[in-house]
Amino acid sequence: MQDDDLDRLLARAAAAPPPPASDLLDRVLADALAELKRSALPVRPQAWATGRPRAARTPRAAGRLGWLAAVFGGAPMLAGVCTAAFAGMAIGYLEPGTLDLLTGGNADVTELFPQIDFLPTEG
Amino acid sequence: MAYDADGDPSDEVLLVRYAKGDRHAALALTRRITPRILGYASRLLAGDRAEAEDVAQETMLRLWRMAPDWLPGETKVTTWAYRVATNLCIDRQRSRRRKGQVTLDEAPDIADAAPGADARLQDSRRLAALAAALADLPDRQRQAVVLRHIEGLSNPEIAVVMGLGVEAVESLTARGKRALATLLSGRRDALGYEGG
Repeated sequence: MQDDDLDRLLARAAAAPPPPASDLLDRVLADALAELKRSALPVRPQAWATGRPRAARTPRAAGRLGWLAAVFGGAPMLAGVCTAAFAGMAIGYLEPGTLDLLTGGNADVTELFPQIDFLPTEG
Repeated sequence: MAYDADGDPSDEVLLVRYAKGDRHAALALTRRITPRILGYASRLLAGDRAEAEDVAQETMLRLWRMAPDWLPGETKVTTWAYRVATNLCIDRQRSRRRKGQVTLDEAPDIADAAPGADARLQDSRRLAALAAALADLPDRQRQAVVLRHIEGLSNPEIAVVMGLGVEAVESLTARGKRALATLLSGRRDALGYEGG
Protein backbone atom coordinates (compact mmCIF):
# COMPACT_ATOMS: atom_id res chain seq x y z
CA MET A 1 0.00 0.00 0.00
CA GLN A 2 1.32 3.43 -0.94
CA ASP A 3 1.64 6.31 1.49
CA ASP A 4 -0.98 8.35 -0.35
CA ASP A 5 -3.50 5.52 -0.09
CA LEU A 6 -2.87 5.18 3.63
CA ASP A 7 -3.16 8.93 4.16
CA ARG A 8 -6.46 8.98 2.28
CA LEU A 9 -7.76 6.05 4.29
CA LEU A 10 -6.79 7.70 7.57
CA ALA A 11 -8.44 10.94 6.44
CA ARG A 12 -11.57 9.00 5.56
CA ALA A 13 -11.58 7.43 9.03
CA ALA A 14 -11.10 10.85 10.62
CA ALA A 15 -14.10 12.18 8.71
CA ALA A 16 -16.34 9.38 9.89
CA PRO A 17 -16.22 9.06 13.67
CA PRO A 18 -18.71 6.60 15.09
CA PRO A 19 -21.83 8.48 16.13
CA PRO A 20 -22.54 8.13 19.83
CA ALA A 21 -25.68 6.40 20.93
CA SER A 22 -28.15 8.97 22.11
CA ASP A 23 -28.53 7.28 25.48
CA LEU A 24 -24.78 7.72 26.07
CA LEU A 25 -25.18 11.48 25.71
CA ASP A 26 -28.17 11.30 28.04
CA ARG A 27 -26.12 9.38 30.62
CA VAL A 28 -23.19 11.80 30.35
CA LEU A 29 -25.49 14.79 30.77
CA ALA A 30 -27.23 13.14 33.72
CA ASP A 31 -23.82 12.65 35.35
CA ALA A 32 -23.01 16.31 34.78
CA LEU A 33 -26.22 17.50 36.39
CA ALA A 34 -25.82 15.07 39.30
CA GLU A 35 -22.31 16.41 39.93
CA LEU A 36 -23.65 19.95 39.90
CA LYS A 37 -26.18 18.97 42.52
CA ARG A 38 -23.52 17.28 44.62
CA SER A 39 -21.17 20.24 44.31
CA ALA A 40 -23.73 22.33 46.17
CA LEU A 41 -23.11 20.22 49.31
CA PRO A 42 -20.41 21.26 51.84
CA VAL A 43 -18.20 18.25 51.08
CA ARG A 44 -17.87 17.41 47.43
CA PRO A 45 -15.67 14.98 45.52
CA GLN A 46 -12.97 16.67 43.48
CA ALA A 47 -10.27 15.57 41.09
CA TRP A 48 -6.70 16.48 40.31
CA ALA A 49 -5.70 17.44 36.81
CA THR A 50 -4.51 13.88 36.29
CA GLY A 51 -8.11 12.81 36.25
CA ARG A 52 -7.95 10.66 39.31
CA PRO A 53 -10.63 11.54 41.83
CA ARG A 54 -9.26 13.32 44.84
CA ALA A 55 -9.77 11.45 48.08
CA ALA A 56 -12.60 13.01 49.98
CA ARG A 57 -11.56 14.82 53.10
CA THR A 58 -12.21 12.69 56.12
CA PRO A 59 -15.14 14.47 57.72
CA ARG A 60 -14.72 12.73 61.06
CA ALA A 61 -11.20 14.03 61.84
CA ALA A 62 -11.96 17.53 60.59
CA GLY A 63 -15.22 17.58 62.56
CA ARG A 64 -13.56 16.56 65.82
CA LEU A 65 -10.97 19.31 65.58
CA GLY A 66 -13.58 21.80 64.49
CA TRP A 67 -15.80 20.91 67.46
CA LEU A 68 -12.92 21.36 69.92
CA ALA A 69 -12.00 24.73 68.42
CA ALA A 70 -15.63 25.81 68.64
CA VAL A 71 -15.75 24.91 72.35
CA PHE A 72 -12.83 27.27 73.04
CA GLY A 73 -14.17 30.05 70.86
CA GLY A 74 -12.22 29.41 67.69
CA ALA A 75 -8.88 28.09 66.52
CA PRO A 76 -6.78 31.05 67.85
CA MET A 77 -8.32 30.69 71.30
CA LEU A 78 -7.66 26.96 71.27
CA ALA A 79 -4.01 27.61 70.34
CA GLY A 80 -3.68 30.11 73.22
CA VAL A 81 -5.16 27.68 75.74
CA CYS A 82 -2.83 24.91 74.55
CA THR A 83 0.20 27.22 74.86
CA ALA A 84 -0.77 28.28 78.38
CA ALA A 85 -1.31 24.67 79.43
CA PHE A 86 2.08 23.67 78.07
CA ALA A 87 3.80 26.56 79.82
CA GLY A 88 2.12 25.67 83.12
CA MET A 89 3.24 22.07 82.89
CA ALA A 90 6.81 23.12 82.05
CA ILE A 91 7.02 25.48 85.03
CA GLY A 92 5.58 22.82 87.28
CA TYR A 93 8.28 20.35 86.33
CA LEU A 94 11.18 22.81 86.68
CA GLU A 95 13.17 22.80 89.96
CA PRO A 96 13.15 26.03 92.02
CA GLY A 97 16.86 26.51 91.28
CA THR A 98 16.16 26.51 87.59
CA LEU A 99 13.24 28.82 88.17
CA ASP A 100 15.58 31.34 89.83
CA LEU A 101 16.70 32.33 86.39
CA LEU A 102 13.21 33.66 85.84
CA THR A 103 12.45 35.04 89.31
CA GLY A 104 15.82 36.50 90.33
CA GLY A 105 16.61 33.88 93.02
CA ASN A 106 13.75 34.36 95.48
CA ALA A 107 11.27 31.87 94.22
CA ASP A 108 11.58 29.69 97.37
CA VAL A 109 11.17 32.57 99.90
CA THR A 110 7.77 34.08 99.85
CA GLU A 111 6.48 36.56 102.43
CA LEU A 112 2.74 36.53 102.40
CA PHE A 113 2.51 39.37 104.98
CA PRO A 114 5.81 41.29 104.62
CA GLN A 115 4.99 44.07 107.12
CA ILE A 116 3.04 42.56 110.05
CA ASP A 117 5.01 44.34 112.86
CA PHE A 118 2.90 47.39 112.74
CA LEU A 119 -0.27 45.56 113.83
CA PRO A 120 0.34 45.57 117.70
CA THR A 121 1.18 49.28 117.68
CA GLU A 122 -2.10 50.26 116.22
CA GLY A 123 -4.91 51.58 118.50
CA MET B 1 -13.18 35.43 27.00
CA ALA B 2 -11.94 32.68 24.66
CA TYR B 3 -13.97 31.68 21.63
CA ASP B 4 -13.35 29.07 18.98
CA ALA B 5 -13.24 29.64 15.23
CA ASP B 6 -17.03 29.60 14.97
CA GLY B 7 -17.45 32.27 17.61
CA ASP B 8 -18.74 29.83 20.19
CA PRO B 9 -17.27 29.78 23.69
CA SER B 10 -14.21 27.54 23.95
CA ASP B 11 -14.29 24.28 25.87
CA GLU B 12 -12.31 25.94 28.64
CA VAL B 13 -14.84 28.75 29.01
CA LEU B 14 -17.69 26.25 29.02
CA LEU B 15 -16.01 24.20 31.72
CA VAL B 16 -15.62 27.25 33.96
CA ARG B 17 -19.28 28.08 33.36
CA TYR B 18 -20.26 24.52 34.21
CA ALA B 19 -18.32 24.70 37.47
CA LYS B 20 -20.42 27.77 38.33
CA GLY B 21 -23.62 25.81 37.75
CA ASP B 22 -24.40 26.49 34.08
CA ARG B 23 -26.41 23.54 32.75
CA HIS B 24 -26.25 24.76 29.16
CA ALA B 25 -22.47 24.58 29.38
CA ALA B 26 -22.79 20.96 30.50
CA LEU B 27 -24.94 20.17 27.48
CA ALA B 28 -22.56 21.89 25.06
CA LEU B 29 -19.52 20.09 26.47
CA THR B 30 -21.34 16.78 26.38
CA ARG B 31 -22.17 17.20 22.70
CA ARG B 32 -18.70 18.44 21.76
CA ILE B 33 -16.40 16.11 23.65
CA THR B 34 -18.27 12.83 24.18
CA PRO B 35 -18.37 11.80 20.48
CA ARG B 36 -14.66 12.48 20.08
CA ILE B 37 -13.72 10.48 23.13
CA LEU B 38 -16.07 7.68 22.10
CA GLY B 39 -14.49 7.48 18.64
CA TYR B 40 -10.99 7.54 20.08
CA ALA B 41 -11.74 4.89 22.70
CA SER B 42 -13.49 2.75 20.13
CA ARG B 43 -10.37 2.70 17.95
CA LEU B 44 -8.05 2.02 20.86
CA LEU B 45 -10.28 -0.82 22.03
CA ALA B 46 -10.52 -2.42 18.57
CA GLY B 47 -14.12 -1.47 18.06
CA ASP B 48 -15.55 -2.73 21.33
CA ARG B 49 -18.46 -0.32 21.46
CA ALA B 50 -19.69 -1.18 24.94
CA GLU B 51 -16.29 -0.69 26.54
CA ALA B 52 -15.68 2.45 24.51
CA GLU B 53 -18.95 3.90 25.81
CA ASP B 54 -17.90 3.06 29.36
CA VAL B 55 -14.59 4.82 28.81
CA ALA B 56 -16.30 7.88 27.33
CA GLN B 57 -18.79 8.12 30.19
CA GLU B 58 -16.08 7.66 32.84
CA THR B 59 -13.87 10.26 31.17
CA MET B 60 -16.69 12.78 31.15
CA LEU B 61 -17.58 11.99 34.75
CA ARG B 62 -14.00 12.77 35.77
CA LEU B 63 -14.21 15.97 33.76
CA TRP B 64 -17.30 17.09 35.67
CA ARG B 65 -15.62 16.29 38.99
CA MET B 66 -12.43 18.10 38.02
CA ALA B 67 -14.26 21.22 36.81
CA PRO B 68 -14.13 23.16 40.13
CA ASP B 69 -10.33 22.71 40.19
CA TRP B 70 -9.77 23.56 36.53
CA LEU B 71 -6.94 26.05 35.98
CA PRO B 72 -7.56 27.92 32.72
CA GLY B 73 -4.52 28.20 30.48
CA GLU B 74 -2.69 25.11 31.70
CA THR B 75 -3.95 22.70 29.04
CA LYS B 76 -6.85 22.20 26.68
CA VAL B 77 -9.93 20.39 27.93
CA THR B 78 -9.79 17.98 25.00
CA THR B 79 -6.13 17.18 25.64
CA TRP B 80 -6.98 16.44 29.27
CA ALA B 81 -9.89 14.24 28.19
CA TYR B 82 -7.79 12.30 25.67
CA ARG B 83 -5.22 11.65 28.37
CA VAL B 84 -7.80 10.31 30.81
CA ALA B 85 -9.39 8.19 28.08
CA THR B 86 -5.98 6.83 27.08
CA ASN B 87 -5.27 5.70 30.63
CA LEU B 88 -8.71 4.12 30.94
CA CYS B 89 -8.23 2.28 27.64
CA ILE B 90 -4.82 1.01 28.73
CA ASP B 91 -6.41 -0.44 31.86
CA ARG B 92 -9.04 -2.21 29.78
CA GLN B 93 -6.56 -3.42 27.17
CA ARG B 94 -4.56 -5.15 29.88
CA SER B 95 -7.58 -7.11 31.00
CA ARG B 96 -8.71 -7.81 27.41
CA ARG B 97 -5.42 -9.42 26.39
CA ARG B 98 -6.44 -12.57 28.21
CA LYS B 99 -9.47 -12.82 25.95
CA GLY B 100 -7.59 -12.20 22.68
CA GLN B 101 -7.87 -9.43 20.11
CA VAL B 102 -9.44 -9.07 16.69
CA THR B 103 -6.76 -9.61 14.04
CA LEU B 104 -6.54 -8.36 10.50
CA ASP B 105 -7.70 -11.72 9.15
CA GLU B 106 -10.79 -11.47 11.33
CA ALA B 107 -11.84 -8.11 9.94
CA PRO B 108 -15.51 -8.42 9.16
CA ASP B 109 -16.74 -8.39 5.61
CA ILE B 110 -19.48 -5.85 5.25
CA ALA B 111 -22.54 -7.18 3.49
CA ASP B 112 -24.50 -4.70 1.43
CA ALA B 113 -26.65 -6.09 -1.34
CA ALA B 114 -28.28 -2.83 -2.35
CA PRO B 115 -27.86 -1.90 -6.02
CA GLY B 116 -25.18 0.72 -6.69
CA ALA B 117 -23.62 0.18 -3.29
CA ASP B 118 -20.21 -0.96 -4.55
CA ALA B 119 -18.45 2.25 -3.57
CA ARG B 120 -19.97 2.20 -0.08
CA LEU B 121 -19.14 -1.46 0.28
CA GLN B 122 -15.52 -0.89 -0.67
CA ASP B 123 -15.35 2.12 1.64
CA SER B 124 -16.70 0.04 4.51
CA ARG B 125 -14.25 -2.78 3.80
CA ARG B 126 -11.35 -0.38 3.80
CA LEU B 127 -12.41 1.20 7.09
CA ALA B 128 -12.91 -2.23 8.64
CA ALA B 129 -9.46 -3.30 7.42
CA LEU B 130 -7.95 -0.12 8.84
CA ALA B 131 -9.63 -0.75 12.21
CA ALA B 132 -8.31 -4.30 12.27
CA ALA B 133 -4.81 -3.19 11.28
CA LEU B 134 -4.87 -0.54 14.01
CA ALA B 135 -5.85 -3.24 16.48
CA ASP B 136 -2.76 -5.22 15.50
CA LEU B 137 -0.38 -2.33 16.21
CA PRO B 138 1.47 -2.14 19.52
CA ASP B 139 -0.55 -0.06 21.98
CA ARG B 140 1.67 3.03 21.99
CA GLN B 141 1.96 3.13 18.20
CA ARG B 142 -1.79 2.77 17.88
CA GLN B 143 -2.40 5.62 20.33
CA ALA B 144 0.06 7.89 18.51
CA VAL B 145 -1.30 7.13 15.03
CA VAL B 146 -4.93 7.55 16.05
CA LEU B 147 -4.28 10.79 17.92
CA ARG B 148 -2.21 12.26 15.08
CA HIS B 149 -3.93 11.07 11.93
CA ILE B 150 -7.53 10.47 12.97
CA GLU B 151 -8.16 12.74 15.95
CA GLY B 152 -5.99 15.47 14.45
CA LEU B 153 -3.94 16.43 17.50
CA SER B 154 -0.58 18.14 17.14
CA ASN B 155 2.58 16.34 18.21
CA PRO B 156 3.02 18.55 21.33
CA GLU B 157 -0.58 17.78 22.33
CA ILE B 158 0.01 14.06 21.82
CA ALA B 159 3.14 14.34 23.94
CA VAL B 160 1.00 15.69 26.79
CA VAL B 161 -1.64 13.00 26.32
CA MET B 162 0.89 10.16 26.27
CA GLY B 163 3.32 11.62 28.77
CA LEU B 164 6.20 11.52 26.26
CA GLY B 165 8.56 13.93 24.55
CA VAL B 166 7.70 15.32 21.13
CA GLU B 167 10.52 13.39 19.46
CA ALA B 168 9.28 10.13 20.92
CA VAL B 169 5.82 10.90 19.58
CA GLU B 170 7.20 11.58 16.10
CA SER B 171 9.08 8.30 16.18
CA LEU B 172 6.04 6.35 17.37
CA THR B 173 3.81 7.90 14.74
CA ALA B 174 6.25 7.17 11.91
CA ARG B 175 6.77 3.56 13.01
CA GLY B 176 3.04 3.11 13.45
CA LYS B 177 2.29 4.33 9.94
CA ARG B 178 4.92 2.05 8.45
CA ALA B 179 3.50 -0.90 10.33
CA LEU B 180 -0.03 0.00 9.20
CA ALA B 181 1.08 0.14 5.57
CA THR B 182 2.72 -3.26 5.91
CA LEU B 183 -0.33 -4.80 7.54
CA LEU B 184 -2.68 -3.43 4.90
CA SER B 185 -0.47 -4.21 1.92
CA GLY B 186 -1.41 -7.87 2.19
CA ARG B 187 -5.02 -6.94 1.41
CA ARG B 188 -4.23 -4.28 -1.17
CA ASP B 189 -6.03 -5.97 -4.04
CA ALA B 190 -9.04 -6.97 -1.98
CA LEU B 191 -9.41 -3.39 -0.83
CA GLY B 192 -9.25 -2.02 -4.34
CA TYR B 193 -5.80 -0.39 -4.21
CA GLU B 194 -3.49 -0.63 -7.18
CA GLY B 195 0.30 -0.47 -7.42
CA GLY B 196 2.95 -1.03 -4.77
